[in-house]
Amino acid sequence: MHLSDFPDRLSPMLVKELRQGLRSRSFIAVFLTLQAVLGIILLTASAAATSDHAGSSISNIIFSFFSIAVLIIQPLRGIGALSSEVKENTIDMMVLTRLSAWRIVTGKWSAIVSQSALILVTIIPYLILRYFFGGMNLLGEIVLLGLIFFTSATLTAITVGLSASASVILRSVLPVVGLPIGGYILMVFLTYQSGISELVEYCALEKKESWIGLPLFLAASTYIGFFFLSAGTSLIATYAENHSTLRRLISLVVASGAAVVCSMSSVTDPYIAIGVFAVILAPIFAISLTEFAPLVSPAYQKFVKYGSLGKLAGLFLFPGWPSGVFFCVILTGISFVPFLMNHPSYNTKEFYATGLACLGTLLFPAVVINLLRMQGPHRVSHYVLFGIASCIFAVVLAGISESMSSRDFLWLFIWLPPVILTMQTISAFDDSMLLMAAGIVDVGLFCLLLILAQHSYRASIGEIKKSLPDHEHPTAQ
Amino acid sequence: MSDSAITVHNLYRFFGPLQAVNGISFEIPHGSVCGFVGANGAGKTTAMRILASLDYPTMGHAEICGINVVHHPAEVRRLIGWMPDHFGNYDNMTVLEYLDFYARALGYKGAERRQRIDEVMEFTDLVSLADRFSNKLSKGMTQRLCLGRSLLHDPQVLIMDEPAAGLDPKARVELKHLIRVLAKEGKTIFISSHILSELGEMCDSLLFINNGRIVHHGDSESLKRSSDALGGVLYDVQLDGDPQALSDWAILQPNIEFLESRKTGGRIRIDTEDPTKAADVLARMIRDNLRVIDFHREQRNLEDAFIDILANLEKDQNFIPVPPPLPAANPPAVPQGQALP
Repeated sequence: MHLSDFPDRLSPMLVKELRQGLRSRSFIAVFLTLQAVLGIILLTASAAATSDHAGSSISNIIFSFFSIAVLIIQPLRGIGALSSEVKENTIDMMVLTRLSAWRIVTGKWSAIVSQSALILVTIIPYLILRYFFGGMNLLGEIVLLGLIFFTSATLTAITVGLSASASVILRSVLPVVGLPIGGYILMVFLTYQSGISELVEYCALEKKESWIGLPLFLAASTYIGFFFLSAGTSLIATYAENHSTLRRLISLVVASGAAVVCSMSSVTDPYIAIGVFAVILAPIFAISLTEFAPLVSPAYQKFVKYGSLGKLAGLFLFPGWPSGVFFCVILTGISFVPFLMNHPSYNTKEFYATGLACLGTLLFPAVVINLLRMQGPHRVSHYVLFGIASCIFAVVLAGISESMSSRDFLWLFIWLPPVILTMQTISAFDDSMLLMAAGIVDVGLFCLLLILAQHSYRASIGEIKKSLPDHEHPTAQ
Repeated sequence: MSDSAITVHNLYRFFGPLQAVNGISFEIPHGSVCGFVGANGAGKTTAMRILASLDYPTMGHAEICGINVVHHPAEVRRLIGWMPDHFGNYDNMTVLEYLDFYARALGYKGAERRQRIDEVMEFTDLVSLADRFSNKLSKGMTQRLCLGRSLLHDPQVLIMDEPAAGLDPKARVELKHLIRVLAKEGKTIFISSHILSELGEMCDSLLFINNGRIVHHGDSESLKRSSDALGGVLYDVQLDGDPQALSDWAILQPNIEFLESRKTGGRIRIDTEDPTKAADVLARMIRDNLRVIDFHREQRNLEDAFIDILANLEKDQNFIPVPPPLPAANPPAVPQGQALP
């Protein structure tokens, strides 16, 4: 019996997952296959290394196989990470220890990322060998390797976060279908002769765009990865844990930062600005507008002990979707700041209509699930599925309209925000009308959400006040 | 420290329209073993999950050693050990590594962790299985492993949801033995099971739950000695002579029903629990020249007792699940030894 394989300072979750993961057949198969393939290819290449392009060809091969291993296979291993614990009822036993849900989720994620790191380390000797074939852009290839690894970590965060969802469709179909499609695109790109060279050149940080693009990519990946892990955490956490407040504060800081940057004219392309805010708002809207977290005394009392200010903060930061709606109103306001600053690049009706339609697309599924009174911790899965379904429906309507002489029937579906987006792509519609429609739809959706949220918020505050013992009641202090 | 290890007061838990726990109240003293009995879906697991701070009540409160499970879940978790009704084991992980993971997760470090694991493995007789993969264990071994896990932090209160389900007789005996030892060590054990006879042997008290409500709280002996659903009591009568004489005599007696013949007598049912009436019956037998050599009250098994309690409730018009009262209208805790009307 030996237990000295991992030191005490490592997270218990990481130790557990590494013990299991390093013995798992999937990891051993990936690891050995990669070594065998790279070994054979290098031996073959070195025997026939007469061409000037031998070095870059070897790079292509190494990056291709490494990408398949860490961008497809390793992230896919995350799909069952949390669902298996939930299904086997072992998650309850874990949360009763000192492990928080966040440590459980990050432990799962870091174990898979550690194994990806192990794969990364083991291909370094092949890259050193490849150096002797010449023509190597050392910095570019090292940065690219790091970029692939970082992307792998983000994709793993996405699958680990999704793995907490009860929705089989969301948990399985999206990653299982999405990752191979992504993998195919990657393969097409990598096999395209100049693709890898261009990417290496971009990663060599010799151009100004690289210094902006790469940090932006890393920031967006980190933000998205954090939100998926955080969403997974909320799905497995017990009622006593509050992950909402920190999550909302982070998104508030990020959105405020983006608003400042966009207001200062750094981003002149309006659609890049929309893209930036879509990346920032989509995850926090999905989670905050659907969050099924009962407001219980541990979370409540942390706010009310600061008096009126705490209660006001609680209105936006308490766990649960009602305060999430109020928070999203604030976040929407912040996101509109750069556009209201009357930046000349943003000052087009088409652009405003697109922005409002995107906002409506984020609000619409939340209105549906709250009107249908869907309960349970997996409302976020329903939100995503409703969102995808509404977008697909809008695309189908656009397809039908293509085959018809009159496209005016699309106005019948104007209440569905993705339809406004598809209508914008058709030149037959006036931008002013679309802008007005998008504005009315958004205001309507927000009003509906606010009415529902206000009712639910009051009820939950009333319940918690009743449940508090007299000596713990804030008014008694 | 609170007088009770577990205190539940007016606890409700609704899942939409489903009233899983419907205003239950009870107390379990320190160092006692309490059985929690009820049909599937009666609300046992929900109530136990609330006590383990894994779920929250819609209304009411629950305390472990005087600490509110909703307001102070972290403190409660240090006091309780939890065994769920079903759970899986991990792939590619040995018994020793399994316990090591939980010991790390509970904050044990270095030699202390190793010592605690050794103690638990010895107690649960897992030493010989230390290097066996945890998902290759039998059901009985798995339950011992789970019990070992729940004991790692030496909890004061053990909450065990159906720990004997699916165990073979040998594993059941082993588990029962371990629970008895833990009870002797002064731990409070709250255990649910379908096997009432086993609970009766090891529990100081039994809580019966039906449709989310506590319908009885008392010790098993009082249940065994209680009357049946119609208020009658069974007696075993042995005669010296023709056993047929007992049935012939009983037919002519008011308030007595002859149930079955036995080799040297039979079973009769007297329609009252009053012991003086039983004494009168015995006196009448002797007066009517029945040569009685044995006359004793039969103990009922707990399953019969439970079914009779449910039958009594069904008879009672008042036992219709109703919407919960406001929290102010707190029903009193069910005193031990009483069934609800």
